[in-house]
Amino acid sequence: MVKIVFVSHDGSDRTELDVKAGGSVMEAAVANNIDGIVADCGGSMVCGTCHAFVSSEWFAKLPEQSEMEICLLEFVPEPQDNGRLCCQLEVSEAIDGIVLQLPAQQR
Amino acid sequence: MTTPIADHIPEHVPQDIVFSYDYHGDPRVTSDVHSSLQSIQNDAPPIFYTPKNGGHWVVSRFDEIKKVVEDYEVFSAKEMQIPRIENPPFFIPLNVDPPNNIPYRQALMPAFSPKSIKILEEKVRHWAATIIDDALAKGDGVDFVREVASVYPVSIFMELMGMPMDRLWEFRNLSEAFFSTNDQEKIHQLSGQIIMTMTEILEEKKANPSDDLMSHILNIKVKGEPISLGEMQNMCFLLFLGGMDTVANVTGYAFRHLSNMPELQKRLSENSADISKFTDEAIRMFGVISNPRIVAKDSNVFGINFKKDDMVLCLLPISGRDDRKNKNAHIFDIDRAKEDSNTLTFSSGPHMCIGSFLARSEIRILVEEWFKRVRKYEVVPGTELGFRMGFSLALTHLPLNFETV
Repeated sequence: MVKIVFVSHDGSDRTELDVKAGGSVMEAAVANNIDGIVADCGGSMVCGTCHAFVSSEWFAKLPEQSEMEICLLEFVPEPQDNGRLCCQLEVSEAIDGIVLQLPAQQR
Repeated sequence: MTTPIADHIPEHVPQDIVFSYDYHGDPRVTSDVHSSLQSIQNDAPPIFYTPKNGGHWVVSRFDEIKKVVEDYEVFSAKEMQIPRIENPPFFIPLNVDPPNNIPYRQALMPAFSPKSIKILEEKVRHWAATIIDDALAKGDGVDFVREVASVYPVSIFMELMGMPMDRLWEFRNLSEAFFSTNDQEKIHQLSGQIIMTMTEILEEKKANPSDDLMSHILNIKVKGEPISLGEMQNMCFLLFLGGMDTVANVTGYAFRHLSNMPELQKRLSENSADISKFTDEAIRMFGVISNPRIVAKDSNVFGINFKKDDMVLCLLPISGRDDRKNKNAHIFDIDRAKEDSNTLTFSSGPHMCIGSFLARSEIRILVEEWFKRVRKYEVVPGTELGFRMGFSLALTHLPLNFETV
């Protein structure tokens, strides 16, 4: 099992998920009804509404962003350098323990 | 008038999932279009085949629609006309399947992104305020659809594109004519007229570029190469149609529904912070665009055999009313839980509506400006409301009596 932690924007809410490897972090969030992950386009990477922020340590460890992901993250309501789209992160041992900080707004 | 198309059921369709439904005007549908469609959703199998309009599949429930619109390898977006016609309209990037649609999406996305829409908010609010003031000045009986809902999104959209505002009604009429016909000849004639008009404006922009979306479209590069005039025309055509008829009708239906909810009107006028919840709920309940698809290859999906070139209609406007997905799906409740608020009004997958962020803002801001001015309102008693069916559901008029603040 892979541990994924979602922290609400103001830090007041912390949800730990233990999910099976496979599928995306976005799918795991939607299946567990995480507030703050909207995922309007269902993982087709056209909407940007499943973005979250990670620490610089985690950011360095994650696979590289595609051009489209960079583009989408640039145009979210409050862009930051450490954003990722959860639909582009695969649930695997490699991200065990990752902490994802949710944005104030997805759209 | 065109000759009605004969009913048709191909051999690969099992009899037990045949259910008659006329996409362009079903006898069971009343002016309460969404409720009528919802009762069809309850009576019919989740995926059925209707013999009407040349015969096609219909998908009416949330999970099944989501799968169809996300699975572009089986259900292609390259053709969307039901019944099928020769040389159907072709939109970029709507009718382009991945991966070829991505560069176009990427080029358009910045203009329609949450960040850009936030910047646009004050302009949107200005249009909302101006248009509502003009409409209210007409007094009781004012037609909300004509004076507010239809003028408002068109005005904002034309401003975003950089279109000349003195052509507002010309555009609106062309769009309305396009969406209300099923006649092949008319569709071709109107498409030609719309594209010609857009080309004129593009040519003007080429000579005098400014900071607007049309000037941006002239500079789009795909794989490093400028796009052709034909591609620009197609793209503008889609944006034009997408911006005209959609928000207008969601807003029309939402205001019609709210007219019967005096307590909610009171709550919204006293708590403007609740208006974004109202907007989300209106979008869940009153989607207007359906998503037709064409089967790209023989496939078995949901245990059903689909044959290449079968047409498949996804009824997005009732996706949020699926009681298998949302609890009390038929009830308008702005306080509903996130897990019961699912909707595919803007579709999903690679062709999800690029204007969804703009649409949400437009509706929210219009309602905010409305309740700054109106305490309560009702539909003029005794009114028979007109409507249209097809690719886009539309409310043709909505006369209101109102009390100002």
